[in-house]
Amino acid sequence: MLTIALPKGRLQTPALERFVKAGIVPDEEPGASRKLIIGASRGARFVILKDGDVPLYVERGAADLGVCGLDQVLESGADLMVPIDFGFGRCRLCLAAPAASKLNAELGRSLRVASKYPRLTAQWFARRGVPVDLVRLSGSVELAAVSGLTDAIVDLVESGRTLAENGLTVVDEILQVSARLVVNRAAYRLKVEELLPLLEALG
Amino acid sequence: MEPAVPLPGTQDLLFEAARSLRRCEQALAAVFEQAGYAEVIPPAIEGAEIFGVEAFRALDKSGKLVALRSDFTAQVARIAATRLAGVSPLRLWYRGSVVRRDREQIDERVQAGCEYVGAPGADADAEIIRLAAGSLRALGLNDARISLGSTGYFEALARAAGVSDRLAQALHGAIDRKDLPTLRALCEKEVAKGLARDALLILAQPPRPKEQAEDLLARARSVAPGDDALAALQRLTDVLVRCRDVEGLEVDLGEVRGLGYYTGVVFNLYAAGAPQPVGGGGRYDTLLGRFGDPRPAVGFSLNLDALVPLAC
Repeated sequence: MLTIALPKGRLQTPALERFVKAGIVPDEEPGASRKLIIGASRGARFVILKDGDVPLYVERGAADLGVCGLDQVLESGADLMVPIDFGFGRCRLCLAAPAASKLNAELGRSLRVASKYPRLTAQWFARRGVPVDLVRLSGSVELAAVSGLTDAIVDLVESGRTLAENGLTVVDEILQVSARLVVNRAAYRLKVEELLPLLEALG
Repeated sequence: MEPAVPLPGTQDLLFEAARSLRRCEQALAAVFEQAGYAEVIPPAIEGAEIFGVEAFRALDKSGKLVALRSDFTAQVARIAATRLAGVSPLRLWYRGSVVRRDREQIDERVQAGCEYVGAPGADADAEIIRLAAGSLRALGLNDARISLGSTGYFEALARAAGVSDRLAQALHGAIDRKDLPTLRALCEKEVAKGLARDALLILAQPPRPKEQAEDLLARARSVAPGDDALAALQRLTDVLVRCRDVEGLEVDLGEVRGLGYYTGVVFNLYAAGAPQPVGGGGRYDTLLGRFGDPRPAVGFSLNLDALVPLAC
């Protein structure tokens, strides 16, 4: 039996479509009730969770596989197999700042950066030898740079409209994000007979 | 005062949990001794230079950098290469805890394992794999999988492709995660066209049960870029022949994960109910040379924290 971690939010519908096409059909529409575990055909089941929690559930084996953005895979630091790039949920993780602001050495101190992605942000700046003062936020990250809490932000950019409407511009692109299939390392071996046909159908 | 509790990543074992661990250790000790291995008990702390950066380090009073044991194999290699220099072959086993700085926290786990020093051939590789399989059986785990690969093969391909260390690391990461999209992108953008590139591209293939491994190995041989790569593949074939009756053994050319000193075959052990490998091993033919006695060796270790809850 396979347990599949399905993310809430914008990735849910396209992810579910792929599984249905691959022959794994949920017994009911997620969201139709408050059930967190939904049975499906072929003895599989879906567990419904926040996309940021998908990597940990799969790494620790509470789910055998799941779907989440590459940003969440890398930010979690979870040790996972990532065999398929679904191609949907495309966006970019970007460094952004108020237009015309100076982020280089002229600043004369550590750069203050707000993000929901402290690990990826710290890694990216560390590789460039830039010291940063990292502020970890959980929402409305743009506000940090607009209000002067920080010099810049690192956040997902889809169309760029939110940035533009708040007077922010993209300074650099950190990561190209799309939805990935993540598979537990042991499940990949122990359930390989069930998994391989599914991977082929999904990929 | 706040109540005293163990650090995250460490634990107290009480009552039945302690008894279970002791039972497993005794069962394993019996298997190891029966196979002709002799116990060694290295110290819990020693000079930091023998361990990797994952070790928990501190300065002693004289300013010397010391570390808690993060790896038994390095200690056993030191013992074999110094006090037991030239005594071949050596079959040694150990049990005890290792401490590592994993991600953000300290992580302590109990291990048991074996090292076979002084034997360079496929017979020794097979002996260690069979002993690992027998150890899991002795713990009552009958449906385990042993995933066999070769870091030697990956390194031969990386050398043949002439890739930089940075690129080799990126390729290794993509192969280890079966990240075919990234592996393809890296190969197409940064690796010159040729046999080595074709060979790298098949490393993210899914594992094959040993009975069906021959076509995968044949495909790998047909694109092998040189003698080193062919020799590494031949070694896998030789080991498989000697392990024909080992249940749950499969070939995964993408099984490249192991400690930094592995030079040849590597394997990881998986058991139902454990979300991560429960053990692993491989050949390390250059490690003893660091201690002045260059001799080949191969070994494995088991993660008892993961295995004890599954064992009967």
